[in-house]
Amino acid sequence: MVSRLLPQSPLRRKEILAAYLFLLPTLIGFAVFIVGPMFAALGLSVVQWNLLSAPQFAGLANYQKLLSDTRIDDIYLTTFKIALATMALKLLLGLVLAVLLDQKLHRWLSGFFRLSFFFPYVVSVTAVALMWSFLMNKDLGLVNYLLGQIGIERIPWLNSSAWSPVAVVITDVWKELGFYVIVFLGGLQSIPSEFYDAAQVDGANRWQIFSRVTLPLLSPTILFLSVIGMIGSVQIFAQPQILTDGGPGDATRTIVMYIYEQGFRFFDMGYASTIALSLFVVIFILTLLQFRLSRRWVFYQ
Amino acid sequence: MTTTVYQDHASASGAHVARKPWPWAKIGSIALLLVCSAIMIAPFLWIMQAAFSDAAAAYVLPPRLFPSAPTLDNFYAVFDLVPFGSFILNSLFVATTITIGQLITCSMGAYAFARLEFPGKRVLFVVLLATLMIPLQVTIVPQFILMRQTGLYNTHAAIILPALVSPFGIFLLRQYFMTIPTELEDAARIDGAGYFTIFWRIIMPLSAPALTTLGIVCFVYWWNEYFIPLIMINSPELQLLPVGLTLLRGRYSAGAVGNVAAGVTMAVIPVLIIFLFFQRHIIKSIATTGLKG
Repeated sequence: MVSRLLPQSPLRRKEILAAYLFLLPTLIGFAVFIVGPMFAALGLSVVQWNLLSAPQFAGLANYQKLLSDTRIDDIYLTTFKIALATMALKLLLGLVLAVLLDQKLHRWLSGFFRLSFFFPYVVSVTAVALMWSFLMNKDLGLVNYLLGQIGIERIPWLNSSAWSPVAVVITDVWKELGFYVIVFLGGLQSIPSEFYDAAQVDGANRWQIFSRVTLPLLSPTILFLSVIGMIGSVQIFAQPQILTDGGPGDATRTIVMYIYEQGFRFFDMGYASTIALSLFVVIFILTLLQFRLSRRWVFYQ
Repeated sequence: MTTTVYQDHASASGAHVARKPWPWAKIGSIALLLVCSAIMIAPFLWIMQAAFSDAAAAYVLPPRLFPSAPTLDNFYAVFDLVPFGSFILNSLFVATTITIGQLITCSMGAYAFARLEFPGKRVLFVVLLATLMIPLQVTIVPQFILMRQTGLYNTHAAIILPALVSPFGIFLLRQYFMTIPTELEDAARIDGAGYFTIFWRIIMPLSAPALTTLGIVCFVYWWNEYFIPLIMINSPELQLLPVGLTLLRGRYSAGAVGNVAAGVTMAVIPVLIIFLFFQRHIIKSIATTGLKG
């Protein structure tokens, strides 16, 4: 406060200089690799450029293309379907497993469960997708073999437009579930036991305690997971890229795969940037929407 | 204390009255958890048996835990088909460099935001956090063009340089720095210590837990990153492990199962060993922060 009154004092000037020096690497990197490219993307969206010839001003042609592109509607729809399915499954299964884990278990047993659930999360997505591409092989895969044991016919996981999105969802849920379990478990264990004691004294049964005490107290955790989960799964790329390469047709092509295709296979820099900006707007709206809706159901202690 | 006494008493007398009922709920939940664990572990076991099997036996059904005639051929083949050793060294180099770089730039930035007063502090901090909302795909196209024009395309610098700044890392460390009491710094200042001395000698040593967390999260993220090396690296010998693994499939995904399985096994085993050693810290770090480069 005193220093604010004396803006010219040498001590104060020294502090300001020090602050900017400490921030220098961040500010440079930030300007060159985040803010600069952000504006460059806006600029690119109004040009036509394939990197070979000089960029040409194209007005709103890329945006018109975006609106009339018949592929992009399907691709966005596929992306949303996959994102919603993985989100819902991760939240639901994550919560169930966390509740099951949140009991007195032998130290080794609970350690083993945590380890096995969480390990796929730290393995690279490529290794996971490659593994599942073998497991879901129609004729030789382990999944169809096991399903065959209970009388289910072979499912063409990776070669049919009906099943391939399901394969992507399964792979993604399997890989990321552990993160949800651990975060939910942290949320559960931070609930003070007084709440449970009080509910028990009032004669509440297990289900009532879960739905009236646990769930409301867990709602901020659910919001956190659904926001970062939604942002992450709308950007899903590696799983479908490796499992199916977007196929058959565009059945598993997600929006980031489309950006990759337009930008780094067809080298249409302008259109790739335009699609990316549309994704930015979509993510922004989805996040805003989740926070808006959360006012109705999230309960802060 | 009183409850313990009461419980002891109850169980002592309870032996005469009625046997404790079987804890069915508990047994059921443990059984369910075991099934889920099996689903998480089985794919790894399957890929490992495929890695040690010859081409004909990799896909044998019903599956077995141990191949009848184990072989190391697939592992040799991996090194013949692709520069697998380079993949691992490249990934190690890139992930380590980024991690060290982020620890330095983020802790410096976080110190300025946590402890120093300067014009534009608030605005800068908010702008920094707001950029977390910008998806990578928006900035990657201009970054790609930038790297091509500066001749950095197809070098590790194209991956490392943009990754050296992390608004998320700054935010994480700033939150931690704010919790460190200022008494020590005040004392040091009276002794004539400058800002850098305070930062390096007091703040950094006291922040080991937060620095470890950021380090782990950053390293795991960049060890596994697929999208950026796919775009920025073209030569196989410069490629990182996650993209390198997919090269084992060859064109049209016609590569042999055993080879890919051996590659995946070699990629997973080191992660497993590190994970088993540091699991508590890794789980805690990632659970409190989410994975974010």
